[in-house]
Amino acid sequence: MPGAEAPLSFEEARRYLMQRARELGLGLEVYGERGVATTIQAFAGAVDEFKLSSRQGLGLRALVPGHSGQPGGSGGGAWGYAYTENLSPAALDRALETAAENAALSAPVPNAGLHAWGAPPEIDLHGEGLSGVSVQQKVDMAITLERAATQADPRVKSVPYNAYGDGESLVSVDNTQGLTREYQALHAYTYLAPLVSEDGQSKMKFGMQFSREFAQLDPTRTALDATRKSLALLGAKPAPSGRFPVVIDAECMAAFLAVFSGIFSAKQVQEGKSPLAGRLGQALGSRLVTIIDDATLPQGMNSRPFDAEGHPSAPLALLEGGVLRSYLHNSETAAQAAAEGGAAGHSTGHASRDSYRSVVGVGVSNIYMQIGELSRAGLLAQMGTGLLLTDVQGAHAGANQITGDYSLQAEGFWVQGGEVAYPLQVFTVAGNFIELLAGVQAVADDLTFTQYASGAPSVLIAELSVGGE
Amino acid sequence: MLDQDLVAEVLRAARAGGAEWAELFVEDTVTTTLKLLQGEVKDVGGGNGYGAGLRLLYGTRVVYGYTNDTSRQGLMEVARALAQSQGRAGMTTSSGAGGLDFRRRDAAPLWSIRDHPLHVGKRRKLEVARRAHVAAQTGHVKTTDVTYADVTQRMLVANSDGTWAEDERVRSRLAVRAIAEDGAARAEGYAAPGASLGLEFFDGEQPEQAGAEAARIANAMLHAGYAPAGKMPVVIGNGFGGVIFHEACGHILETTAVAKNASVFAGKLGQQIAGECVSAVDDGTIPGAWGSINIDDEGMPSERTLLIDRGVLTSFMADKVGEMQTGHRRTGSGRRQDYTYAPASRMRNTFILDGPDTPQDLIAQVGLGLYARTMGGGSVVPGTGDYNFTVNEGYMIRDGQICEAVRGAALVGNGAQDLMNISGVAGDLARGQGMCGSVSGDLPTDVGQPHILISEITVGGR
Repeated sequence: MPGAEAPLSFEEARRYLMQRARELGLGLEVYGERGVATTIQAFAGAVDEFKLSSRQGLGLRALVPGHSGQPGGSGGGAWGYAYTENLSPAALDRALETAAENAALSAPVPNAGLHAWGAPPEIDLHGEGLSGVSVQQKVDMAITLERAATQADPRVKSVPYNAYGDGESLVSVDNTQGLTREYQALHAYTYLAPLVSEDGQSKMKFGMQFSREFAQLDPTRTALDATRKSLALLGAKPAPSGRFPVVIDAECMAAFLAVFSGIFSAKQVQEGKSPLAGRLGQALGSRLVTIIDDATLPQGMNSRPFDAEGHPSAPLALLEGGVLRSYLHNSETAAQAAAEGGAAGHSTGHASRDSYRSVVGVGVSNIYMQIGELSRAGLLAQMGTGLLLTDVQGAHAGANQITGDYSLQAEGFWVQGGEVAYPLQVFTVAGNFIELLAGVQAVADDLTFTQYASGAPSVLIAELSVGGE
Repeated sequence: MLDQDLVAEVLRAARAGGAEWAELFVEDTVTTTLKLLQGEVKDVGGGNGYGAGLRLLYGTRVVYGYTNDTSRQGLMEVARALAQSQGRAGMTTSSGAGGLDFRRRDAAPLWSIRDHPLHVGKRRKLEVARRAHVAAQTGHVKTTDVTYADVTQRMLVANSDGTWAEDERVRSRLAVRAIAEDGAARAEGYAAPGASLGLEFFDGEQPEQAGAEAARIANAMLHAGYAPAGKMPVVIGNGFGGVIFHEACGHILETTAVAKNASVFAGKLGQQIAGECVSAVDDGTIPGAWGSINIDDEGMPSERTLLIDRGVLTSFMADKVGEMQTGHRRTGSGRRQDYTYAPASRMRNTFILDGPDTPQDLIAQVGLGLYARTMGGGSVVPGTGDYNFTVNEGYMIRDGQICEAVRGAALVGNGAQDLMNISGVAGDLARGQGMCGSVSGDLPTDVGQPHILISEITVGGR
C-alpha cells in the first residue's frame, strides 16, 4: 500500500486534476465530496456505539471526442469514469488515466459536452454550524432519545434501532470549461424504532427528525411520537381481502412517491424503462394531483444549489392538475431529447450521483405532492368505511419501475364511520401507481416530509386491492 | 500493508482514553464496472477505495472512527480524536504501554485466483458482457442491460491483543437484466451469477447461461395474469429461493439481533425451531463461493457453522462483541463492507441442506397453491420477523400440476412461523448470489436451498 506518499489536500487535488487534464487536452469534470460526521447509538440508557467519520473522494468523468467532435467542447464524445479516495499525486494520475481509458472504450453520445453553467441560487444549508456543539450534548441527545421511548410505556421492550447523527459536508464540481463551484451543508437527525409487544404480538414503527440546525432537534418528541405510533399497531385483527376505498396517510403517500420517482426520469424514459414514455402533455392523474420536485427547499433533505454537473437548481412541476408536464433531465438526456425532436434540450438540473463513486444519472431531489383543501379528519369522514394505509414495505423489490405495478407489504387500520376502529395484521396492497394517481378523489392539507426526502398530504383513493385473510 | 511499529503506536494512542481494546483495519480496494446498454458500452468506471478504520472497545461499547488519510499524521489524528471523545484522558493500561508483539494470523488461502482482475484487460471483461448480451436476445426481449463488475480488496487487521492478519479478496460478477415487450405488455427477467474468483469464473457457459436465464424469465412472465391474494401452500424454488431463509431466519440468528432483544430465537439453543426436515448452515469456507472468506474482518479464520440440525437450533453467528454480549461462541462471522463500518455478526454462504424429496414430490402434494420458481428481493422487520418478498417468476399449482404463469405475487409472512411450516425439502440444493445490507454495510453473501414446500403463506396479489 502506498501509505507513505503524502496526499494532497482536497482543494489541491481538485486543482491538480484540472491542470493535468488541460495539459493532456482532455475534457474533464470532477465531482468531489468531503465531510465529517458523528453517529451515536444508545442501548439500555448508555452509549452503545460512537462513530466519528472523516471522508473525502473525487469522482472523475472524462470526455473524449467522438469521430467528429472537439475535445472538451460540445461537439459530442464519449464519457469515462474513475474515482479515488487516495489523493496522492500518483493515485490522481492513475484515476485520470483510467477515466480517459474508460472513455475511449465507451460508445459516443450526441452533443456530449461540459459547460460553465450560470450561477446557482443562494441557499443556506449550513445554518449555525456544529462547532459550538459539544460531544456531551450529542451523547445526551442519543441517550434522551432512547430513554424517552423506553420509559414511555411498559409495553416498550427495547429500542433496537436508534441513533443521533450529524455531519458537515462540502460538495464541489469543477470542469475544464472553467466551472468551479462548491457548497457546504449541515445535517443533524435522530431516528428510532421502538419494539413494543403485548399478548404475543410485536410491532415496531420507525420515526425520524431531520434538521439543518442542531438546536431544532427534539428527541423526546420524536421518541414519544414513534412510541405512540408503534403502540397503536398492537391488538391488530386480521385484514379482509378484497377491494376497498382507502385513505393513504401522508407519510405513506410520500413513500409511494419516493418509490416511483424514477418513472419521471428522462433516462428511464429514453432507455424504454418507464411507463411514462411518450405521455408528455397527457392527463395521467386525477386533476387534484400536482407533483413538484424542488431542490431549493431550505429544510429539504436533498436540497442543493446545483446538481452533480454543477447545473443550477430550480423547482420543476412534473404533474400539474394531473397532466404530465416534464421529465427530469440531466444535460445528456436533454441533448438526447432534443436530438429526437422531443424537447427544448435544456437540463432541468437533475443530474445525480449517489456519491463520487457512482456514475452520473438522473434523480429527484425533494419530490412532493401539493396539498388540497380537506383536513385529514375530513378525508376519513368522506371515506366513511374502508382502510387507512399508514405504511408500505419492501418497495425495492415489490415495486416495478418499468410498469408501475406494485405488490407491497402494508400496515394500517380499519376505519368505520370516518373513525379509526382497530389496527390490522400484516396484509398486502397491490395495484399500479399511475392508476393510483388517477384514482385520487380527495387531497388533505397535511403535507408531511419523510425520511425518503419526499413529501405528500393524505389522499383518498376510490379503491385498492387488499390481500389479507 | 503498513509498518508494524506505526500500527502499534496508533493502537497505543487510541487507548489513551481508557479503552480496553483497540483494532485497526486498513484497506486498498480497486474496482471495475462495465456496462452494456442495448449492446453499447456505457458508464465504464471503477476506482480506488482507500482508508482505515479504528475501533475501540470500552466494555462492549464500540467507538469507531475512519479516515482516507493513512499517513502517520492522518491515523494519529483519528486515534487522538476518538480517545478524547470519550473524555477520560491518560489511562493507559500496562499492556498498551510497551509496544506490541504482533503474531501474524494469515489463514492459509482456501482457494486461489487464476485470472486476476488486476491483470486482465478491460476488452476481455467487455467480451464477457457481450456474450451475455447476445444470449439474452431471444423471444420478445427488446431491452437488455448487462453489468460486469470486479473487486479486489487488500485488507489488514491488527489489534491490541497482538493479532495481525492480511488478506486479498477478489470477486467477479455479471448481472443481466432483460425486458420483454409485446404491445402494452412488459416483463422483466434478471440473473446475476458471481463468485470470489477472477475471470476464470466465466470460462464455461456462465455468461450465456445468465443471459438466457434473464431472457427466459422475461418471456415466461410477459403474458402472465396477476396472482390471486390469500393464504395457500407455496413451493419455493431452489437457489435464490433461499433468500427468504436468509432474511427471515438468518438475520435473527446473528448475535447483533440477539444482543438487542430483537431475536425470537434468543435463548432457544437446543430447541426445536423448525420441522425435522430442516437443517441449515452458514459456510464461509466453500472455495471460490461469493460469500466465502479466508479470514473475517476481525482476523478470525472462516468456518462452516451448523445453524440448525434436523430442526434443532445448534448455533448463532457471532463476532467478537457479539460473543462478549451474548456468550455465544465466535464463528468467524465478523464482517464489514469496508473501512467505513465497524464489523458485526453477518452471514457468509447461508443455505438449507438437501432433504429426501424431489421437486415433483413437493408440487404433487399441493391441491391449489403457488410455485415461486424464482424469487426477487424483499425485506424483513428484524424485531418481529415479519417479511415481504417478491416472486419474480411464479406459477399456479392446481391438483399437483404446474399451471399458468402469474405476476405480481408477494409472499408475506413471519420467519419463525414459516420455519415450523416447512413440510418438505427436496434434494436439489443450489446457491444464488446477493448483496446483503445490514448494520455493517452491504456484503456479498450466497443464499441457497433445495426446493421446499411451506404448508401455508399469505400471498399478496390482486
